[in-house]
Amino acid sequence: MAKGFSIRARCQNFGWPRDRGTGEIGRPIIGAKRRFVDRAVGKMLFCAALAAIVAVFFIIVFLLRDGYQIVLETGLWNFLVGAEWNPTGLNPAYGVFPLITGTILVMALAMVIAVPLSIGSAVFIAEIASPGMKSVIKPAIELLAGIPSVVYGFFGLILLTDWIRVVFDQPSGSSWLAGSILLAIMAIPTITSVAEDAISSVPREFKEGSLALGATHWQTIRRVIVPGALSGISAAIILGMGRAIGETMAVLMVTGNAAVIPDPIYDVFSPVRTLTGTLGIEMGEVAFGSTHYHALFGVAVVLLFTTLAINSAARVIITRIQGTQGTARPTPSGRVKAAILHSTPYQAITGAASRITHAVSAPFGRLLPPRASQRCAFLLVSLSVAIVIAALGVILFELVVNGAGAISWEFLTGSPRDLGRAGGIFPAIVGTFYLVGGALAIALPLGIATAVYLVEYTAETPLTRSTRTAVDLLNGTPSIVFGLFGFAFLVLFMGFGVSLIAGQITLGLMILPMIIRTTEEALRSIPGSLREGSYALGATKWQTIWRVVLPPALPGILTGAILSIGRAAGETAPIMFTAAIFSSRFLPSSLTEPVMALPYHLFVLTTTVPGAATQSYGTAFVLLLLVLTIYLAAILVRRRYHRATVM
Amino acid sequence: MTGKSLSGTTTVAVAGILVVLLMMAGCLGNDQTAAPERITVTGSTTVMPIAEQAREAFEAQDASAEIMVSGGGSSVGVKAAGEGTADIGMSSRDLKPEETAGYPDLVKHHIADDAILLIVNPGNSVESLTLDEVRGIYNGTYTNWNQVGGSEAQIVVVGRDSASGTREFFSEFVMDEEDFTRTQEEFNSNGGIQQKVSQTPGAFGYVGLGYTEGVKPLALDVGGTSVEPTLQNITDGTYPISRPLYMLTNGEPEGLAQRYIDFILSAEGQEIVASEDYIPVRG
Repeated sequence: MAKGFSIRARCQNFGWPRDRGTGEIGRPIIGAKRRFVDRAVGKMLFCAALAAIVAVFFIIVFLLRDGYQIVLETGLWNFLVGAEWNPTGLNPAYGVFPLITGTILVMALAMVIAVPLSIGSAVFIAEIASPGMKSVIKPAIELLAGIPSVVYGFFGLILLTDWIRVVFDQPSGSSWLAGSILLAIMAIPTITSVAEDAISSVPREFKEGSLALGATHWQTIRRVIVPGALSGISAAIILGMGRAIGETMAVLMVTGNAAVIPDPIYDVFSPVRTLTGTLGIEMGEVAFGSTHYHALFGVAVVLLFTTLAINSAARVIITRIQGTQGTARPTPSGRVKAAILHSTPYQAITGAASRITHAVSAPFGRLLPPRASQRCAFLLVSLSVAIVIAALGVILFELVVNGAGAISWEFLTGSPRDLGRAGGIFPAIVGTFYLVGGALAIALPLGIATAVYLVEYTAETPLTRSTRTAVDLLNGTPSIVFGLFGFAFLVLFMGFGVSLIAGQITLGLMILPMIIRTTEEALRSIPGSLREGSYALGATKWQTIWRVVLPPALPGILTGAILSIGRAAGETAPIMFTAAIFSSRFLPSSLTEPVMALPYHLFVLTTTVPGAATQSYGTAFVLLLLVLTIYLAAILVRRRYHRATVM
Repeated sequence: MTGKSLSGTTTVAVAGILVVLLMMAGCLGNDQTAAPERITVTGSTTVMPIAEQAREAFEAQDASAEIMVSGGGSSVGVKAAGEGTADIGMSSRDLKPEETAGYPDLVKHHIADDAILLIVNPGNSVESLTLDEVRGIYNGTYTNWNQVGGSEAQIVVVGRDSASGTREFFSEFVMDEEDFTRTQEEFNSNGGIQQKVSQTPGAFGYVGLGYTEGVKPLALDVGGTSVEPTLQNITDGTYPISRPLYMLTNGEPEGLAQRYIDFILSAEGQEIVASEDYIPVRG
């Protein structure tokens, strides 16, 4: 009723003829000024979308510019499969094969640990948990995603490696296993959330049908729900892999960084070195313009293409799922199956996933009666949630117990003295806010504009396609690669020096894809009928977007913005070479000055300053608190938003 | 248009304000009008503690001075000083040929020396090693502590990353540029190595003089006499593993940069050098 009234009222306000007698839904007469604004806005949005492509182009160009010499020097083949990485030896060797192997091994084991736990947790949250329980566990697991990687690394360096050394009676705890465990903990929240969404979206009728046929709840989960959600689960796993492969700080602090291939290959206690770790530890001290310097940029290019491959695989699968969801729900049969067969990585992942599910469930199905097997299976599933929650608990407990003691008024409001061993971290807190704020000021308008252009303005054109590809590329780019780019382009080429502005732009680029993605999602969730209604009333495209589409999409956009604040606040790798300094007397007064920042402060305190354990814990605690508060805000906004749309 | 619930709108508004405030924080920052005299000092993390402590003392005397110190590594220091992106660069190694060629105007200021200590876990019974034994451990000849006079335990070889100035010095001085064993675990800071060695019973590493908490520095066996790494022994050169630390300026320093470097080289500054466990070069 109210809606009908308002539409009529609006028609009268705009004052154009309600019945033009042409018989088609054409454009009403539009004033020249409005038409001009409309066209100008369209052009501006187009430029914003171009910016994303340009950014990717620049990143690749600047990495290649400094990296191609190494291929001239050693030959592409020797660079890629050379078995030795020893840039400072008497006979320098620049073979990245051990690094690639290390990266893949660490990621693979991390997935072996993370996938069963995540799927177990997802099944538990979606199917077994009571609503009350679900409302606690789900955000708790999502919070794990908010813990900055340098905090994980700090935790790993202090506790995990020592724990591995003692428990497994090894001479050294810095190992492949330590890296994989940390990465698994970091990937679990991503995989769990996406997999849980997939499981929840399996149509209710499937489940009810199965139960009605007399299957137990577990049989239903195993034979109907999980197979039905398999494509979504596979996408979740690939996203988790993307997160794991690009991780720098945590990995470099715990894997030991010896550039060897484990011997035997399954020796999980062997130290390994990853591509990202190599960049993280060697970039700071390498001589500029040396062969070693070019080799590191070569490593960055290899890293970029590796993550690109993984993320394209994820994109292919997600598109497939989106393509099928409109017509038929994903089922493992018929058309979907035919589509699946085209994608090799998909096949491999799906195979692995189903084999894992079977391995977990099969023994109970064969040997035990259905009821007992259900009890065992639920026990295992609950156990996986318990392990995940326990991991979160241990990390939080350790940091809170040791960190809360360091918190005092002086610590929060003072400047650091005596190399950070005394005094406070106020400039670092403020610096983090400046960096994040600036990044947001750059990325938010640009990101929203790009998303609006992509969703509202275009049909599939080569430009949209390349913009989407560019955004995906940016999204999968490891943060350390942004750091290198910022350093090569902003700090050196543009002559900004190590400065606030260089850090803001680098971080802005890093969060840009996340903002574009979430804004796109939010815009797509606005029903087309709203737009058609607005057009039918004679509004221009821009009026429609500004007045009709954007307001209800705002909460979704905000969630994206808040999540990217969290990400930007916790990242070390992109600011390490572009913006951060260890100490400063005053707060920065211009964009050309460097700043202190919490993650970098923690990194330096942990690795460079002896006798600053209390302050390290304190800084980690403050950083954690800051980022978790931001994530909590995102979760709350989303929850409100969901409730609002349901109503 | 008014279909949204009020509580939802409120949340969105609060979140929106938060975002806007953050953005303003990013754009603003021009709150200080009186511009103090500023210099930036960047580079080697080994030299950073000296620069940082000297900054604190210097700024206490000169209210208008602001000195901003950051790490990054020796090469960052050389590059920044050479390109003029920083006023002073810090380096824990000498300039490389390509750097001298690229930045012919760089002036080196030798501000301190640093000794390199060989450290083991406090539980290790080994007290001293010869340089040959140290080399043997790092090139993989010795893999068990019982081969060098200790108890039966695998040696966990820990060293710096391959771009480190400290490692480069170690490689030239101790290793005669022989390759390190490939199973050496690498860390990108003195603190990382110290942490590792203090936690790991079989570990063997090398660090700067200031990083002795929780680890045991070994004496060097030089021609049959055991030389402890004491300040006295390092200063008079009896303990052989030490290297110079530099501050670099593009041309002769001027203004605040000059006053700051002079301060570090003054008696007071050299006291700071000593108090941070480095070797003073004057007085």
